[in-house]
Amino acid sequence: MRALTYAAPLINALVFLLAAPLYEGVLRKLAAKIQSRQGPPLIQPYRDLLKLLGKQTLNSAGSWPFKLAPLGAFAAALAVVVLIPFGGRLGVFAGRLDVIVVIYLLTLGGVAVLLGALASRNTFALIGASREMVTMIMVEPVLAVTLILGAVKLRSLGLAAAMPGAAGAKFTLATGLMLAVYLLALQAFVARQPFDIAEAEVELLEGPFIEYSGPNYALFKYAMMLKQMFYAWLFVSVFLPWIRTGIYPADIVLQLAAMLVVFLLIGLVGSTNPRLRIDQAVRYYAVLIVLSLAAVALAVKGW
Amino acid sequence: MTKDSLIRTLRDGFGPALTVSEGATPKRLVLDIDRTAFRAAALKLRAAGGRYMVGVGSDERDRRGAFGMIHLFAFDKDGFTVALRTSAPAETPEFDSIAPEIPAAGWTEREYMDLLGFTFKGNPKPKKLILADDWPAGIHPLRKEVPYNLVPPSAEDVAYELDEAPEGTTTVPIGPFHPSLHEPAHFAVYVDGETIKGCDYRGFMTHRGIEKLCQTQVSYNEVPFVAERICGICGSVHAAAYSQSVEEAAGIKIARRAEFIRTIMLEIERLHSHLLWLGVAGHLIGYDTIFMQSWRVREPIMWLSERLTGNRKTYGMIVIGGVRRDITPALREDILGVLKKVETEVGGLKDAVLKDTSIHRRTKGVGFIPREEAEAWSLLGPVARGRGVDIDVRRDHPYAAYDELSFDVPVMDSGDVWGTLVVRLLEIFESIKIVRQALDKMPSDGPLLTEVADVLPAYRHGLSMVEAPRGESVHYLITGPENRPERWRVRAPTYTNLQGVPRMLLDNQLADFPIIVGSIDPCFSCTDRVLVVDGRARSRRVFARSEIEALGRGRRKP
Repeated sequence: MRALTYAAPLINALVFLLAAPLYEGVLRKLAAKIQSRQGPPLIQPYRDLLKLLGKQTLNSAGSWPFKLAPLGAFAAALAVVVLIPFGGRLGVFAGRLDVIVVIYLLTLGGVAVLLGALASRNTFALIGASREMVTMIMVEPVLAVTLILGAVKLRSLGLAAAMPGAAGAKFTLATGLMLAVYLLALQAFVARQPFDIAEAEVELLEGPFIEYSGPNYALFKYAMMLKQMFYAWLFVSVFLPWIRTGIYPADIVLQLAAMLVVFLLIGLVGSTNPRLRIDQAVRYYAVLIVLSLAAVALAVKGW
Repeated sequence: MTKDSLIRTLRDGFGPALTVSEGATPKRLVLDIDRTAFRAAALKLRAAGGRYMVGVGSDERDRRGAFGMIHLFAFDKDGFTVALRTSAPAETPEFDSIAPEIPAAGWTEREYMDLLGFTFKGNPKPKKLILADDWPAGIHPLRKEVPYNLVPPSAEDVAYELDEAPEGTTTVPIGPFHPSLHEPAHFAVYVDGETIKGCDYRGFMTHRGIEKLCQTQVSYNEVPFVAERICGICGSVHAAAYSQSVEEAAGIKIARRAEFIRTIMLEIERLHSHLLWLGVAGHLIGYDTIFMQSWRVREPIMWLSERLTGNRKTYGMIVIGGVRRDITPALREDILGVLKKVETEVGGLKDAVLKDTSIHRRTKGVGFIPREEAEAWSLLGPVARGRGVDIDVRRDHPYAAYDELSFDVPVMDSGDVWGTLVVRLLEIFESIKIVRQALDKMPSDGPLLTEVADVLPAYRHGLSMVEAPRGESVHYLITGPENRPERWRVRAPTYTNLQGVPRMLLDNQLADFPIIVGSIDPCFSCTDRVLVVDGRARSRRVFARSEIEALGRGRRKP
């Protein structure tokens, strides 16, 4: 068992790195089906990553923050993945660190994107960065509340407490409210329509990433896929704690399957909505923040 | 104002400076006026309710030692047009600008500053419009002494001077290459935060000089095929408009059946163009499902066009004197079948789009202009009808077989992108209605092509307007002595609508830039009048559709 505790972070990293492009492929295939298209094969995102990784590294902005930003974003995403109790198993880190670290690391990934955008010195990247910043400020509280809700119940900031259902807490009104808020914020977490505002292809030409190409761009893409998968996992483990057998490999498979359902939802909403403007999105996020604060209040009351 | 009362008012105001004559038909009023009263008369026509269409400048020094300049106005309610003509001596081609009062005339005046070396005193923005930034000063390509194939040496370090940005704004360069523009054009958008505070436009980056080419190199009967290539979407519109202008100038009456076939082709073109637009609009607001579904619905129309004409686009159907192919009874059934399918599918699409509140959020109140300003900018087509301006050439100045067909002209008062969206969607159903009626009412036989006398009389004027999917296309023709036009002026609807875009953008969000520009369904190639020829395609090989699909999907070699 002790060996498994040490192996768990490694298993997390492996599973996430291997499966993230596949989920991306599912999203693309689903969008294609909704649009009456054939769509690319499921493994296309792997090919895309390999192709990008095989290209020459360009430092078009000629500065070191520009070079470091993709590495930072990827490292942050990978670190998050390593920490989490995936498959219900608390790894060696998960037992010692708390949710604040996860929030920090997720923010760090966002900051890395901003850093790269600002270092690009491109008008479109700058506009994209300012939109990304607004989105971060407005969406982060929702994420924080999701993670802290368990902490309020179990009076602990440990990662185990973040999964209150798993740790034995009951499904309360607060959990129900938070579940709804999480679903409403999901598209914003994963930067999909209607909230792909910072990248906005036809307005900003991928915004923060406009100057990136080759391996650097591949790292950003990979980091975004990991992040996407993390948010799907977070939903499954916080709100669907009953998906659990107690057998580690079986739990991994079950969680992956449940995450697939979350991805189908993301894809469905993404293909049936136009992009919102940032001012419209901010008003939407504000409502979510208020609702998540209400959930905290309910949790404090013990409801 | 009726024609007679208009003539009376003008005679009272200008006396002997004005000569009134009738044009090729009673619907064309021709006013010749002294240059000094040119501006005053134009303003009077505008004040009387005339809609400014376009100006036509011409080099007539070889036959009368002067430059000609015409302002065209349309009186849509009363169904006639006015050509206000004047001339200027060869040495001093100077006119008074009407652009301060009639903003829609701005580009016309700038165009002739570039192409004919005219001066318009008082033009608010006398900057280069058409010629390249490094084009040498003093060479005006539409002047007759300039050869059509002149290629002056290019110069280094010359750039277009953008308008000064308003204080406190940053400049976002959109174009020449940008995913929301499907053709090269440059918009310098001045933003404060994300709010657009102004915009300068530099287009005409691929000007082909089609007018010059057709005035010097080809003959009357070849021009329709060149005209068709002005635009990749509404080719038939330009072929029809050109052919009609020649027919009007030379007094040719074409067979009724041919007029009906022209009508059907023009409406089929509108059908596929509106569906194409709907798809692009969806893409521009980040809604690719609308994009894909709309184009899927459109595809059977393209296949139908191929069966009717041999081509998906650029049909080569319409020529001077009539059309080149018949609609046989079998094709008639084919058309009806496709229309039925398209009508059902567009019905579903319409509900999905019009009831989607997220689309409301992205289009309502966006790109708003009140009706008065839309009229001042002479906006055209769905862009105008979405802003409460009730104009449609098909109804106001009927051509082809439209006088015999009944249809509605949808008008919205919302004044924004939403209005143009609804208008275009409703027009799809009107087009289907028109094609069905035309198939019913069409004479069952009769010649397709009317023989044209070998020599067309020289120096006659012909004007023709066709309602393209994007609005009114105007072709003005002066016949020449050498079996080709002496002067052929093309004004596509985008030329006019694009001038109003900076006004539409004002105080909107940058995120709405793509859909606002997209809402006029811009066709830069129409304004640029550019021709693209693939010189490499020497080998000929016909691919079946299935082969092309297989190639596109990269599964197997055909």
